[in-house]
Amino acid sequence: MRLPYTLAVAALSFSSACLAASWSFDDATLTVSSKGSGGDGGVKEKLSPNSPSSKAITLPAVDTLKIVLTATEGSTGKRPHQAFLTLHEPTTGLEESFPFSLKENGNGKVEVTQKDLPYQLLTSKSPLKASLVLASFGSSTPYASHAFDLTLQLDTTAPPTAPTAPERYTSKPVINHIFKVQETSGPRVISFFFTIAVLAMLPVLFGAWALLGANVDHLGKAFGSAPIAHGLFLGSVLAMEGVFFMYYTSWNLFQMLPVAGVVGTVAYISGSRALTEVQERRMAGER
Amino acid sequence: MKSFEYCTAEMRWLFASLLLALLSVVHARSFNSSRLLVVTEEITEKDKYSTFWGDLESRGFSLSFASPKSPDLSLFKHGALAYDHLLLLPSKSKGLGPNLTPNMLVNYINANGNILLALSADQPTPPAISSLLLELDIFLPPDRNALVVDHFNFDKASAAEKHDVLLLTSPKPLRNGVRNYFEVDGSIAVPRAVGQVLGNASPLLAPILRAPSTAYSYNPKDEAEAVEELFATGSQLSLISAFQARNSARFTVLGSAEMLENKWFDAKVKSQSGVEGATANRAFAEKLSAWTFQELGVLKVGRVEHYLNEDLPKGTANSSEVGFLDLNPKIYRIKNDVHFSIEISEYVFTHLVPFTLPPTDELQLEFSMLSPFHRIPLVPTSRTANSTVFTATLTLPDQHGIFNFIVNYKRPFMTNIYEKRTVTVRHFAHDEWPRSFAISAAWPWIGGIGVVVAGWVAFVAVWLWSAPAEDGLRKRN
Repeated sequence: MRLPYTLAVAALSFSSACLAASWSFDDATLTVSSKGSGGDGGVKEKLSPNSPSSKAITLPAVDTLKIVLTATEGSTGKRPHQAFLTLHEPTTGLEESFPFSLKENGNGKVEVTQKDLPYQLLTSKSPLKASLVLASFGSSTPYASHAFDLTLQLDTTAPPTAPTAPERYTSKPVINHIFKVQETSGPRVISFFFTIAVLAMLPVLFGAWALLGANVDHLGKAFGSAPIAHGLFLGSVLAMEGVFFMYYTSWNLFQMLPVAGVVGTVAYISGSRALTEVQERRMAGER
Repeated sequence: MKSFEYCTAEMRWLFASLLLALLSVVHARSFNSSRLLVVTEEITEKDKYSTFWGDLESRGFSLSFASPKSPDLSLFKHGALAYDHLLLLPSKSKGLGPNLTPNMLVNYINANGNILLALSADQPTPPAISSLLLELDIFLPPDRNALVVDHFNFDKASAAEKHDVLLLTSPKPLRNGVRNYFEVDGSIAVPRAVGQVLGNASPLLAPILRAPSTAYSYNPKDEAEAVEELFATGSQLSLISAFQARNSARFTVLGSAEMLENKWFDAKVKSQSGVEGATANRAFAEKLSAWTFQELGVLKVGRVEHYLNEDLPKGTANSSEVGFLDLNPKIYRIKNDVHFSIEISEYVFTHLVPFTLPPTDELQLEFSMLSPFHRIPLVPTSRTANSTVFTATLTLPDQHGIFNFIVNYKRPFMTNIYEKRTVTVRHFAHDEWPRSFAISAAWPWIGGIGVVVAGWVAFVAVWLWSAPAEDGLRKRN
């Protein structure tokens, strides 16, 4: 009783295995031709379902890529619901599919020109991977396999117009805008050199005066006859320089002006007395 | 007499309890911000999704069910939203009724309402819905009957012949720098879906779930034999699309309403290669509804602070106010060093957590007048219990004017953050310029002034107290 039962099961599974056919194709030819030549020039390749074509196909700008095949389910020619030529761009992962127009017996073709391709595929840096997809409803195993590589020869005189880049929410480039470059002084060595040069002029000046006979011989006489006046006057001259120095470093105008006024008044009064003393010496013929 | 008094005491008690009950109802209504309205034509249909309603209610949503034809259905009440969220199930009639016109749905989104629109390939899409989606730059197939099939990724257990139940893996992040809120363990069953194509121009659109590369959309009535004119194929077909408006209200278009049904929540599916498993539809529906109804991907901004990052002036160094910071001053000076910080939290289902940026993404601070002059990254420096503080320091540009600190963070699937703080940047005051003794090029000139001063004082002394030169020059007649 067991044996016929197992035989029946084996027979059934065998037949169902036959039913689980798979989609494939036959007599596939790929041609790249331009309109006028009618298929004589250009590339002509046979495609096999089991292995991708080793030859890289190039599609020039005005030519048409045409693939003719007969789709088969199992061993009979049949039209699948989905018969696509899919072009896949490897770096971005974008792809576009072109449907075959097939007759009932599975015979048909698809034609692709550069005009049909979107911008992102046209400007791909690496060759596009072309696959054939044949599938339909039911339990037959579908077919999808890489068939050939396609390189596009763009028309250099009329490059494809880039579409405006769409706005996407993402982080934007870093900006560090400089309005005015920070002013810098020259090298410090040069500043030092010229400062020393300027400061060295002071002893040179005193030396020149000494050569011309400058002296302070009447200092004792002047202080003897009018010590307060001369002392205050010299002091106020020095104090005025001191006021200017304080104004330069830390004081503001309203702090400096009263002090300058006081020092100026002292200078005026003591100065006039000191000049009287100088006039006395001049009258005495000592100047 | 006695009975009359007894009556009034009872009535007083009755009124008081009634008032209390009324007050509690009013109280509950005003704090309830998770009102969800489900619009479905056949009220009996809603039982098919009972697990999904249970999940929503357990997350705190209060569901109401209505038919589009009911006369008192209104999305707005007294000028405010009557429902915070809206879920539209596929309807057989030509439109969604007079109370849910596309115009009203657009107004609903503009008023911060969220919508989850479910479509189905079993029912033709009403033209009103198609035109509404066209406004959002989402294109539906022009045939009202359209179905997405994939002969390579279908569920062998339920659709071995028709291939209209797609079995997809969990979606990947949209691109570098975008967080994936929809990742689930396992495969997602998408039965009888309507595919959409998203317009390329809008930054507000993002696909949540894309069809695999061998999928395509066709019209089962007209194109049963072979498909010649393709609407879209492969990953250009978006099965679930998300639209986030500029006010961060969310509109999700779900291509397959059936994937929310009870039977698909834990269905046993068999992939093309024979691998069996259970679907992850329930977890995916949770993530999808959580994103659409503002439980996931919601960002909140806490404190925004900026202050001068330079040394304190000399006088205050030892004073009692050493820790004093003038926070958010209205005016800065050019070339000041400024420190800016912003506190951001992310709301996840029930509570706020510190916000972490998606990997390779940057939160940026712009310092701009009419256009940004500085755009620098904000780095996370510290964390509180429920927020992250991002800071940046910058030197203000060498230009006076009215500037803005702008944090403009807009990403797919996250609420939009736009924080702007306006400050004045003034020029140097007369006493803030660098002093001349600090400028090395001025030293020769300062030396010159010193030499002149010394020479002058010496000249005064010599003039007052000099005696005539003895010989040489004086001996003249």
